[in-house]
Amino acid sequence: MITIKNLTKTYGKITALDKVNFNFNNSQVFAIMGENGAGKTTLLKICTGILTYDSGEVKIDDYSIDKNSIKAREKIGYLPEMPEMYDRLTGREFLFYIASLRKIINAQEIIDEITTNIGIHSSLDYEIGSYSKGMKQKISITSAIMHNPPNLLLDEPVYGLDPLTSKKIQDFIKKQKGTTIIATHSTKLVEEVADMVYILKKGRVTLFDRVDTLMEKYGSMEETYFHNRKENNV
Amino acid sequence: MFETSKTVITNSQRGLFNKIKESPVLYFFFSLIMFFSVLMFSFLAFYLQVIDTPLDIKIEDVFFMVFFIFMIKSAVDMYNHFIQPGNLTYSLSTRVSQSKTVFEIFFSIFLMSIFIWFVFSTLFILFLMVFPINIYYPLEYLFFNIGVISAIFIGSSITINFFSEKRYRLIPTIILLGFFLISQKPTFVVLTMPLALLHLIWSIKNSLSSYQNIRRKTRIKEKTQIKIRSNIKATFFKEITILWRDKLFFSFIFTSAITGFGTGYLYLYGDELLIPVALRHIYSQFLPSLFIFVGVLIVVIYTSVFPSLALFLNEEKTMWIIRHTPIDNKTLIIGKTTTLFLCFITTIPFIAFISIFVGLENLIFVTWLLAISYIISACISIPLGVKYVGKKSDIMLLYSVTMVLFVILSPLAFIGSFILENVYYGEFFLSLLLFISIVILYLLLILSEKLLELRYPKPTY
Repeated sequence: MITIKNLTKTYGKITALDKVNFNFNNSQVFAIMGENGAGKTTLLKICTGILTYDSGEVKIDDYSIDKNSIKAREKIGYLPEMPEMYDRLTGREFLFYIASLRKIINAQEIIDEITTNIGIHSSLDYEIGSYSKGMKQKISITSAIMHNPPNLLLDEPVYGLDPLTSKKIQDFIKKQKGTTIIATHSTKLVEEVADMVYILKKGRVTLFDRVDTLMEKYGSMEETYFHNRKENNV
Repeated sequence: MFETSKTVITNSQRGLFNKIKESPVLYFFFSLIMFFSVLMFSFLAFYLQVIDTPLDIKIEDVFFMVFFIFMIKSAVDMYNHFIQPGNLTYSLSTRVSQSKTVFEIFFSIFLMSIFIWFVFSTLFILFLMVFPINIYYPLEYLFFNIGVISAIFIGSSITINFFSEKRYRLIPTIILLGFFLISQKPTFVVLTMPLALLHLIWSIKNSLSSYQNIRRKTRIKEKTQIKIRSNIKATFFKEITILWRDKLFFSFIFTSAITGFGTGYLYLYGDELLIPVALRHIYSQFLPSLFIFVGVLIVVIYTSVFPSLALFLNEEKTMWIIRHTPIDNKTLIIGKTTTLFLCFITTIPFIAFISIFVGLENLIFVTWLLAISYIISACISIPLGVKYVGKKSDIMLLYSVTMVLFVILSPLAFIGSFILENVYYGEFFLSLLLFISIVILYLLLILSEKLLELRYPKPTY
């Protein structure tokens, strides 16, 4: 569970998040949508401890990301938008490094299982520097989910993936028991996997509702998105 | 017309200005050091002209040194502006011919290098006038200018062809450089400049296969990271794997051995080589110790300062890994610092080689000086590396740390030598100094932990 209260984040004169409140409950998949620069990635980065914030409160399973950072970070798995990793390590070495930091005991079996499932197992002993964008994405996804985190934060999770792997990732997200937050531009992905959706505009929440309710009302998430844009005079 | 050149130059210029704004002190130090270096070279020229020494530095030697520096610089620039950057895809996919785009990149490198050459050579000439040395050598200066131009041509074509699938295209350059080495005549370099230009033009016309040269996939046989370790051990193994695969350990060992040999040789014969007979009795009192000091400094800069800075500065784009995983800053910094123990082992060849020349009686002092210099260099480099993590000002930092290290180690070497010669149980006090430096290092690691906490990543949203 992730609770965010009155969160504000500014970059100089630009306000990326403006006193926003979120309540990401367990057993639900939340989608965060919005135009470029709306504050989606900033929100995820703050929740993972990568970015600091100006004011407000962020709690991951009751641990403050600010004061109990290590405990809070134990409870999350994160996939960045453009995952950069250590080019000189092999995929396997990178995953074992992350597994060591996360103290995963049966890492070997878990890594083998996930990487076989998403189709990267045969490339695990090559240096990451020689990987394509999609291969890096698969390694990064493995590192995000291998400790079975109760809170999963995914920034454009199917970006750069082939349709088969994309489908597998979507199925995986649907089966998640904890909290899952997805920042995405893909309305199709939201329709497929999300239970709830937030739409952000210039650091503020302009829409929060159930996906099935919105689908009933507007027919598709794409229509919902455009309707929301019109309503907010974008 | 010349849109790509303008973009490359503007981008480099703005990048430099932004870096100066971000770290003005660092750049002030760097500029000061560069200024001081040119002054020292001018003084050296004055010294060698006025004092008659057995050391015979010819103008050809200086010519080839300048030639080599600019060749390396333009090769690196060509890599940074053409081979590596992904954003070049935009200009390469326009209707402008791709050869023209690559030529424009070369042209911007050419302009920037020539600008640097004129600034430094003018400064050097001005200093020579101050000393006062005859500067009326128009033909020699012309030769130097043509030499620099030729070096830029050759450096650029080396990079283009090295990253090509057809590396045999390097053969003409290798032949040319081989002739330079054999002849050792600047005239030869000047006369063959048209050949270097022709080869460069041909290389630019066939340069596209070199763009974004993809590293060939090779299966890694040794598996260093396939077990679960503690956070410190995992970080240590990660770092040494990267250092090993970059082949840095070999280069550390090689540098240590060569420096050890060179320092030892100068320790024994340096005064005969550099100092006139009449003055030798004055200089021989301290010159051998000075050579050892400089030797230790070189080894420490290469095997400690450089990796200490790289450990943190290289985390530019991978900070997200460290920040979102449950590893605290202290563990991370200690894990990275332990890598330096292994780097320290690579200095053993330095000790081994130098002991041949200085004898076992001086070995305690040399080993102590190396160890304490190593620890102090880590004390300076690690907090700086942490402070500038991800900023990639490594060259600037390297120069700045070198200067600070020089200032700190000079009196320390003197104190160490004095204690060993004049104090009863001097070895005990040297060990005490070593212990104190280790305590200082530990305290600075804790301070670095705080520095890392204060670092806020740049916004990307």
